[in-house]
Amino acid sequence: MPSRSRFIANPARPLRTARRHRQTRLLAVRSVRDSLISLAGLVGSPAVNQAGDPVGRVADVVARWDGQEAYPAVTGLVLRIGGRRSFTNMDQVASVTRSGVTLASARLDLLEFERREGEVLLARDVLDHQLVDVDGKQVVRPADLYLAPTPGPGAPVLRLVGVDVSAQTLLRRLGPKRWRGVPTPERVIDWAAIRPFGSEVRNVPLRASHEDLRRLRPGELADLLEDLGRDARQELLASLAPEQAADALEEMDPDELEALLRETPPEEAAALVARMEPDEAVDALRDLEDEARAELLEHMQPDQAEELSDLLEYEEDRAGGFMTTRLVTATPEDSVRSIRRQLRKEKEHAGDVDGIVVVDPDGRLLGDVPLYELAIATNDSTFGELMPEGECVSVPADAGITEVAERLVDTRHTSVVVVDEDNRPVGRILADDLLDALLPERGRHHFPRFLS
Amino acid sequence: MTAEAAAPFVRPPVAGEDAAHPSRRRWLTYLAIAGPGLIAANAGNDAGGVITYASAGAQFGYRTLFFMVLVTVALVVVQEMCARLGAFTGKGLAALIREEFSIRLASFAVFFLVVANVGLVVSEFAGIGAALELLGVSKYISVPIAAVGIWALVMFGSYRYAERLFLVLSLVFLAYPVAAILARPKWSQVAADAAVPHFVGSRAFILLGVALIGTTITPYMQLYVAAAVADKGIGPEEYRYERVDTVGGAIMGNVISCFIIVATGAALGRFGLPLGSAHDAARALEPVAGTASVDLFGLGLLGASMLAGAVVPLSTAYAVSEALGVERSVSRSFAEAPLFLSLFSAQIVLGAMVALLPGNLVSLLINTQTLNGLITPVILVFILVLANRRRLLGEAANGPVFRVVATVSVAAVAGMAGTLILQTIGGWVGIG
Repeated sequence: MPSRSRFIANPARPLRTARRHRQTRLLAVRSVRDSLISLAGLVGSPAVNQAGDPVGRVADVVARWDGQEAYPAVTGLVLRIGGRRSFTNMDQVASVTRSGVTLASARLDLLEFERREGEVLLARDVLDHQLVDVDGKQVVRPADLYLAPTPGPGAPVLRLVGVDVSAQTLLRRLGPKRWRGVPTPERVIDWAAIRPFGSEVRNVPLRASHEDLRRLRPGELADLLEDLGRDARQELLASLAPEQAADALEEMDPDELEALLRETPPEEAAALVARMEPDEAVDALRDLEDEARAELLEHMQPDQAEELSDLLEYEEDRAGGFMTTRLVTATPEDSVRSIRRQLRKEKEHAGDVDGIVVVDPDGRLLGDVPLYELAIATNDSTFGELMPEGECVSVPADAGITEVAERLVDTRHTSVVVVDEDNRPVGRILADDLLDALLPERGRHHFPRFLS
Repeated sequence: MTAEAAAPFVRPPVAGEDAAHPSRRRWLTYLAIAGPGLIAANAGNDAGGVITYASAGAQFGYRTLFFMVLVTVALVVVQEMCARLGAFTGKGLAALIREEFSIRLASFAVFFLVVANVGLVVSEFAGIGAALELLGVSKYISVPIAAVGIWALVMFGSYRYAERLFLVLSLVFLAYPVAAILARPKWSQVAADAAVPHFVGSRAFILLGVALIGTTITPYMQLYVAAAVADKGIGPEEYRYERVDTVGGAIMGNVISCFIIVATGAALGRFGLPLGSAHDAARALEPVAGTASVDLFGLGLLGASMLAGAVVPLSTAYAVSEALGVERSVSRSFAEAPLFLSLFSAQIVLGAMVALLPGNLVSLLINTQTLNGLITPVILVFILVLANRRRLLGEAANGPVFRVVATVSVAAVAGMAGTLILQTIGGWVGIG
């Protein structure tokens, strides 16, 4: 791992470069390892004055975590002095080492600790609480936090540089006092990869995090949403773009999604479901109780609610229950040019468009033009010319899975059009929809959580 | 799904519905059917529970009923606190303990949770062994097969269907209230024993009392309620309804427990002997089932034990994973969940092995409940501190009156366990 030797916890380094060095297995460089101060060890260690006389003990460490800097600077200490907790600004602290804290002045201003904007108490609010690691794409619970002095404009500034999530570190904290202060950075996550989603650090502006979150795939976001506690996952959800959030919900486990929709205010839940692909939205709505479902539909646009409730009428294991309703239709007179224009607008649904459905003026199915035919056609040709000869293969909306599979094979393409009883196209079943319907568990092992 | 889904977006007003709370009805319906509180409290009537209650009836007649009333109060208080913690924080008990206490206290609590739950797993396998002995199968055959069966069911995913079968089988125990009534107990005596404070000072009574506490206020149930409430997305707004479910469930579960005591007391109480075998416990069902009572009891015991035999090790594995901060591993593939899987498997292996040791299965069942009863106060202290904490729960933290009631309940439970420990130690050094 060549990056090891170059890793320095330097906040001045541009974020992009720092990110490349994140997840460094161990801050293997001796100097870095030696300069790390374990938060778990620091809490409870003595605070002494210049003369070396004990004054009190460290109760907590305050850091400014406002999203402006990748590595939060330590702004002060909470000391326990004679049974009272008081706040000490960092300018009154001469040095912080593994064995304890030396205060700068003999005279101490004993201030009540008041949380300022963007400040967190590291031991109380961050240690042992859930955090999101955007590089590892996982939810972590820090077993220890590491502080390190970093070169500042003037004197070195103590900053929070890493999170330790190893079980060994938990064991170390159980051990005797002299073990506790020794960093054991076995699995350290660079702090720059950590995002605060949790009730305690709610006020942290999420300036920097959006960009990171955008890089996550829907499935990874779904995993994070499932693992986080309720407040944290609501926060994560709120910080996502609506489209991205809807995509993530589509990937979630049905039970978890059900709970998520239940705990989200109805207006927001309705907005999310409305942005999901119709077939996924219908699956999600199907799992809710009647009243909850009605409540969500009520909060949607009437046309959307109507579309979804129409879909809800189909049985889950019938063609209508697992088709996609995203259809691009054309009349035989339409030119290829006009449909290409329309396809450009539908770009985000590319995965669901497998062909162009040709209908007569009454909306009845005439044919299905595969994308390949469209690709090689000239701009001026019409769909009447492109239509394959012979009767178009389709399935009724109430067809079972076996019938759908047989028809799909008959088409000799990768999808089949679904029609209602009047032969009007209502949707399309792609080969992957069929696979989904046939393999509901799809390799993911979900343990039964409790009695349900 | 057809009729009501056709036009749900123009929902007609439902008569009698509270206009300010459009979702009220749905919560009431939902909780009435599948409320976590109801399920948790009735999970108390598992193999260990039924045998312990039956033993109470056989040995002391109706004289444990007043004690059960006190236990019910404590159970209501404790389950309510747990449900409140789940609803207002959205987190499970193990996660809260890890976040709110020092790592030493947290590991202390988790250690005892694991010990209590392993005890329960042992009792479930003992229950399976006892049930199948009633049906004529040796425990040396039934327990290993059941262990492999439960493990495979959970691992290979058809558990949900099996769960329903077990649940139906365990409904056999609902026959106890009927049996209690058909046995024509002296109701005046039952009522007097339930209402008039009285305790039997003997060591046997204290031993059984701790077992009754352990099987009724089980640490496992507290874990379950908090996690299930948080998991199902029940939040502060819906908590009013969840409280109805929790309190109602706790009372209902204990009413059934008391009927088990009454039914067994009526059938065997006159002998005043501790329960010797599962066969004896089955005799209390004779007024309902006649000669079929043994088979019926065996099936019920099997269902209840198999159900809990899978659920308890699962919930322990969840709690430990949660406390260690490896939530990620719980619903993923085999390779990604080594910790979770080894915790789950180890409990099954350990539970089955202890149940296979030579000895009386009924005594083993009761002893594991006593172990739970000794551990319960430890967990209750953690729950009490959490529920008192205003920083965590805000306005929902325990108020002054509730705080007193809860503290007294916890202290009483702890006092009972303390007495037993002191007596035991006293017995060793020759004072008792």
